[in-house]
Amino acid sequence: MGIRTVVGFVLKELIQLRRDPKIVSILFIAPIVQLTILGYAATTDVRQIELVVCDLDHSAASRLVVDAFTASTYFHLVGSVAVQDDLDPWLESGRARVAVTIPEKFAADLEAGRTGRVQVVADGSDAMVGTLGLAYAHGVLQAAAEEEGARTPIDLRPKVLYNPDLISRYFMVPAVLALLIMIMTMMLSSMALVRESELGTMEQLLVTPLKPAEVLTGKLVPYAMVGTVEFLTALQVVLFWFKVPLRGSFGVLAVMTALFMACSLGLGLLVSTLSRTQQQAMMISTFVFLMPQIYLSGFIFPIQNMPRIFQIATYAVPLRYYATALRGIFLKGIGFDVLWPQALALLVLATIIFTVARLRYRRRLG
Amino acid sequence: MRAAVGASQEATREVVVSASELSRTFGDFVAVDQVSFAVARGEIFGFLGSNGAGKTTTIRMLCGLLSPTSGKGTVAGFDIATEAPAIKTRIGYMSQKFSLYTDLTVDENLRFWAGTYRVWGNEFARRRDWALNVTGLESRQRALVADLPGGYRQRLALSCALLHEPPVVFLDEPTGGVDPEARRDFWDLIDDLSEGGTTVFVTTHSMDEAERCHRVALMHAGRLLALDTIPRLKKVFPEGSVLEIECADAARALERIEDLPEVVDVALFGDRLRAVLRSADDAQTLESGLRSAGCGPLTVRATAPSLEDVFIHYIRQAGSKAPP
Amino acid sequence: MIRRILAIAVKELLQLRRDWRTAGALLGMPVVLLLIYGFALSFDVTDIRLGVVDLSRTSASRRVIESFLESGYFVRAATLDDIRAVDGLLAKEAIQAALVIPEDFADNAAALQPTALLFVLDGADSQTANTILGYARQIVAATTPEILDVEIRPPVEAVPLVWYNPDLKSSIFLVPGLLAFILMVSSVIATALAVVREKERGTMESLRSTPVRALELLLGKTLPYLLVGSVSAAGTLFLAWALFEVPVRGSLFWLAVVTLLFLAGGLGWGIFISTLAESQQVAFQLGIISSMLPTLLLSGFIFPISSMPRALQIISTIVPARYFIAALRAIVLKGVGPEMWWHDVVALIIYGALVLLAATARMMRSL
Repeated sequence: MGIRTVVGFVLKELIQLRRDPKIVSILFIAPIVQLTILGYAATTDVRQIELVVCDLDHSAASRLVVDAFTASTYFHLVGSVAVQDDLDPWLESGRARVAVTIPEKFAADLEAGRTGRVQVVADGSDAMVGTLGLAYAHGVLQAAAEEEGARTPIDLRPKVLYNPDLISRYFMVPAVLALLIMIMTMMLSSMALVRESELGTMEQLLVTPLKPAEVLTGKLVPYAMVGTVEFLTALQVVLFWFKVPLRGSFGVLAVMTALFMACSLGLGLLVSTLSRTQQQAMMISTFVFLMPQIYLSGFIFPIQNMPRIFQIATYAVPLRYYATALRGIFLKGIGFDVLWPQALALLVLATIIFTVARLRYRRRLG
Repeated sequence: MRAAVGASQEATREVVVSASELSRTFGDFVAVDQVSFAVARGEIFGFLGSNGAGKTTTIRMLCGLLSPTSGKGTVAGFDIATEAPAIKTRIGYMSQKFSLYTDLTVDENLRFWAGTYRVWGNEFARRRDWALNVTGLESRQRALVADLPGGYRQRLALSCALLHEPPVVFLDEPTGGVDPEARRDFWDLIDDLSEGGTTVFVTTHSMDEAERCHRVALMHAGRLLALDTIPRLKKVFPEGSVLEIECADAARALERIEDLPEVVDVALFGDRLRAVLRSADDAQTLESGLRSAGCGPLTVRATAPSLEDVFIHYIRQAGSKAPP
Repeated sequence: MIRRILAIAVKELLQLRRDWRTAGALLGMPVVLLLIYGFALSFDVTDIRLGVVDLSRTSASRRVIESFLESGYFVRAATLDDIRAVDGLLAKEAIQAALVIPEDFADNAAALQPTALLFVLDGADSQTANTILGYARQIVAATTPEILDVEIRPPVEAVPLVWYNPDLKSSIFLVPGLLAFILMVSSVIATALAVVREKERGTMESLRSTPVRALELLLGKTLPYLLVGSVSAAGTLFLAWALFEVPVRGSLFWLAVVTLLFLAGGLGWGIFISTLAESQQVAFQLGIISSMLPTLLLSGFIFPISSMPRALQIISTIVPARYFIAALRAIVLKGVGPEMWWHDVVALIIYGALVLLAATARMMRSL
């Protein structure tokens, strides 16, 4: 394979990229803007759940409970009603997600040594808020009880490693970074070959002595370069804007990212060998490769709860390995001694992907 | 219908492109049907036919872009089916779309395409200067191809195909949408190439262009109907059997003579008729016949047959001999 | 005017029909995607890999461990003698949490002295960590009476009740969001290339010479995809109901109305993008960037909007999926009438109108 030939090809691609006026803003500005905005959005720290209260007891004890909820950062008191039925519209309209009712005999029960029962209703249509709402409510009540002197005999004391305050940003921001890299590189490379055939230069390329490997490499190297610059730029945002700690080595991060990018580029290339038009390239890359990876990577939805078939399928998802690597490198500071299986998996996947793409890239039109 | 491959003079020169019963089908559709020919070095060989006649498919097979369904072919001594990579280094190709990168400059295009043929360094500098000179783009090296008019693009595309000085060059409808003067300049270029020993294989659907070729192959519906030099192709009409008739009411004259047995074909060209007779002897009777029918004043003149006449003749012949 | 719109729509439909790959993707992919993800995705965490460090080794400590394993959430992944080994295993993700029972556990419990169990968590994935912690707390609270062999009455107890989704099934929660995500992305992609294709192919020139007006061209291009999108949405909703038991408690009519409005808005956005871009490549990138991640992260699909910083809440107001998901959840899961969610519908209408206006304005410049 002629290096000089490939270099000539790469130069051509870079010149074309540079001449496209919108490309620069899309490739560089957009990811940074996206990362910044979405980094903030991808918070799973559910706070300020809208709460509506119905105090039917009007005792000191019940007021204590209401205060406990009001003071908690988990809840945001949006209203209180006098009659229990009045709670319904609050939940139906979505203005409140959790409704707490303190029954009439609450203080009396406590006095008599019986358990005071507080009813907590959660809006289950948003299951995450529902689950957490219930859990938080339970927590608030426990805390209130403890404050009044009740003791929990067996105390489960949590010790959280790597992320003691459970700041979800530390995990999700690198996750958004990974998603962005994947989307950008795949988008670029999936148009690679299709554009040439649509323009008519594909035929001209086929008639020259260029070998398939030379053409493919020439197409991919520029995109890899662009992807790398994007990654480095976005990394600045992750490290210095979001202040996500990088406890591992940058070298390990770089290698894992390079491997992952190779997979993404390869997938995009595969798409471009499958598509005849640019619209098809878009469809296939989005539906077949981008969306599944987002879902099956373990970033948002835990893999371990998926049915066995899907769990097996996730082994073929490059993003899954990159996600594990990112988590480990940023927050746990691990290196290749732990990550070598992920690195190997990415290498194997990249090889398979490129081989298939190469096979599909036929030198003859017929 | 098979035609003779050529006179003895051509046969002594080296054969650079050959086809032997070359065929290509796409499913049920036969695009190229057992085509055979041999092209000699330095020849300007024209492949004439309408769109869909099989010209582009044939060229694609010769260039190694498409594999033949059956038959054989060689280019520069190499087999098109098995030795395509070797062929690619020895040919130049220019497609209908003048495939140039419109978002690249003249210089960048030259450099890129040269690179694909491994033409670098000093050799590239030499060839680039030649290309700029021959295309007239010396002062426009930095211009984007998108900003160039059609004629310049055409010449640039041709020169990009020649940077590696290939012995054979394939041009597929190279003058589409280009003004007549540019077209003429282009063909002057082709003449120069041919004199320099480069073999030029051109496809076209323009009869005028085909006149500038040394030999022309007539393609229709995938078959090669005739192949010869133009003078000899035109000899298919006996001397004086093609007439040009000027008269006051041409349409009426047409009606009068079109069904006559001695008239093979007649067509209306504005206010003139062009008639092909079975034999030159019938010219007199035809003229008197028209005069007596009151179509005068009229002029009847023997004229040279055009390639179009030849083509139509062969198409008719092929049609009447249609296979069962 | 109607006739011209129809003419353009028919042409687009014919072109779509011939491009079976695109048509197939638009029709089929949403359904397939929903199927796959509906089956695969949930937030529930099971098979949590637990490491056990039992320094007490009494029947009491074993009872605690058993209660964790019996719960169905945890599986024993490692038994350790030394607490220091925990870190290494957590780093490798061989275990996700470790339960450490101190030596004096049994003695303290018997004497009714407060005693603590250490629960070490991998905090890297904070969401999962929170969930795991929640489970652990529940288990301990439930087991406490057994261990202490005393009737403990918590002074205060929460009596939980969940509306609309009593079992808190993730699928019911996810499916409306998934639908929004899939529909948004596919409608934007479908149309983002529509106008740009004409520009690139040069057919824009010939359109310019006809009496077609910008709005007519827009509507004509949107209609076929609206049709295709509706069919696909209907199929997807049907599957959601049939396979995932997503109830449709509200009115089907309103469901259809809201879905059509959402589709129209998404398609309009796609068309708007295609008027901005000069090449299909750029249109594609703009389309993906503006639809995929924002719809995933800013629409309330997964992350509640109310928990986001103020700035982002404001940005989310221009994400149409936000209103669609809210309305969809209200109609499908809560079964409430339009008086409860009319503002979402209004928002969708405004969005659609604005986008269409913007697209028309831009197209008028090029026609």
